[in-house]
Amino acid sequence: MVKERKIVCRCEDLTEEEIIHAIEEGYNDLESLKRYTGATTGACQGKGCLMHIIRILSQKTGKSPDEIGITTQRPPVNPVPLYILSEGDVE
Amino acid sequence: MKIAIIGAGIMGLSTAYYLSKSGIDVTVLEQKYLLYGASGRNSGGITPMIDREELIPFALESIKLYDRLPSELNFNFLMRKDGYVKLASNEGDADRLRQEVRMQNRLGVSSRVISPEEIKELVPDFNPDSAIAASYCRDSGVVFPWPVIWGLARGCRKNGAEIKTEAKVERIEKNGEKLSVYVNGGKYEFDIVVNSAGAWSNEISKMLGIELGNRIIKEEVCVTESVKPYIDPYIHDISSGVYVTQTARGEIIGGITGKETDTINTSSTIEFAVKYAKRVTQMIPKLKGLAMLRQWAGVYDESRDGLPVIGFTEVDGFIQANGLGKHKGMIVALSLGRELAKLIEKGENPVIKKFNPQRF
Repeated sequence: MVKERKIVCRCEDLTEEEIIHAIEEGYNDLESLKRYTGATTGACQGKGCLMHIIRILSQKTGKSPDEIGITTQRPPVNPVPLYILSEGDVE
Repeated sequence: MKIAIIGAGIMGLSTAYYLSKSGIDVTVLEQKYLLYGASGRNSGGITPMIDREELIPFALESIKLYDRLPSELNFNFLMRKDGYVKLASNEGDADRLRQEVRMQNRLGVSSRVISPEEIKELVPDFNPDSAIAASYCRDSGVVFPWPVIWGLARGCRKNGAEIKTEAKVERIEKNGEKLSVYVNGGKYEFDIVVNSAGAWSNEISKMLGIELGNRIIKEEVCVTESVKPYIDPYIHDISSGVYVTQTARGEIIGGITGKETDTINTSSTIEFAVKYAKRVTQMIPKLKGLAMLRQWAGVYDESRDGLPVIGFTEVDGFIQANGLGKHKGMIVALSLGRELAKLIEKGENPVIKKFNPQRF
């Protein structure tokens, strides 16, 4: 029998259970939870998983999504190969 | 004795860990969350091959602690010891590297001068034309800074220390024998307050009328997507400031040594991304095909003479533990924290006397 696994972060292959475990360990603010689990740090940089993570955190802590906030958004929006960046013309 | 430590970076937590291990009552006050400051934003290069001889004994001692602490704390630091390469691309810097190696060898560091071709033996895709000279130390590597902080925090808590996050210090007042610290509308009394606030150490000092005068450095870092193990050592070009290595997760991580800034800001710039990409793809041309996933920035502090500021100040009970400087905090803080804990317990510690804040 296959154990039911709800994948919430596909880049880092994280299940809902693992996120809940980390929250219970005390990583119960979004920035700490992100760093401890690796959620939102993969190739999608949170585009696929951030809302799931916020939902789980909200359900576990009782905080509203507004109180939880979102992670710092950083460039690039999508991955950019270094050969393209290296052709840049900036001083 | 009640002690407050301001800042839960590697310096503050290392000090808190060794104090609490001796049974001392410690409270760590972190303005945001663990890893918010420079200890959570750096690339984790660890080497005793540093440019200031005063700090080399502490680097050597810290490397021993990096070996020992993961089992003591029951927390894996994800450290990889695959060596550290410094390279130079102009004659002046090449001379500097050679002089540094002589100084390092005198102090027991096993660094040596190597040729650019020898870098290629360590990193097969390295382009030897991108350097004219290099130095190498085998007993060096890369640590994942996050578990270092989490592990120290776990050790502190286990020893009975309290770590308060989202606890920004608003005011400090001298109150007879005690120091009153105001946090989130509350007032707390301590016998000793340690200022290990990194780039925020100037602001904390001002609360007691002390002009610390540390320089604030902003540095940018980035990661690419993850690939299989590809770059073993940490590679640091001292001429351009560009450094690059690979994390335990497989990302190629790198950055450019920071510049002084007037105000604390952690914004990302396209200028960094372009300058980094140009230089890093000269050094390892095959990196061209890898995509940058994320860039970020951090701030740290460096004292006026480039050496840490650690010890008692003119305000009784107020201790500085900051100004660790460029590419050094993660390398020396474990040992410096342990020495600072001894200073606090015994009232003196000749080993760190040279870092006394009253030298300025």
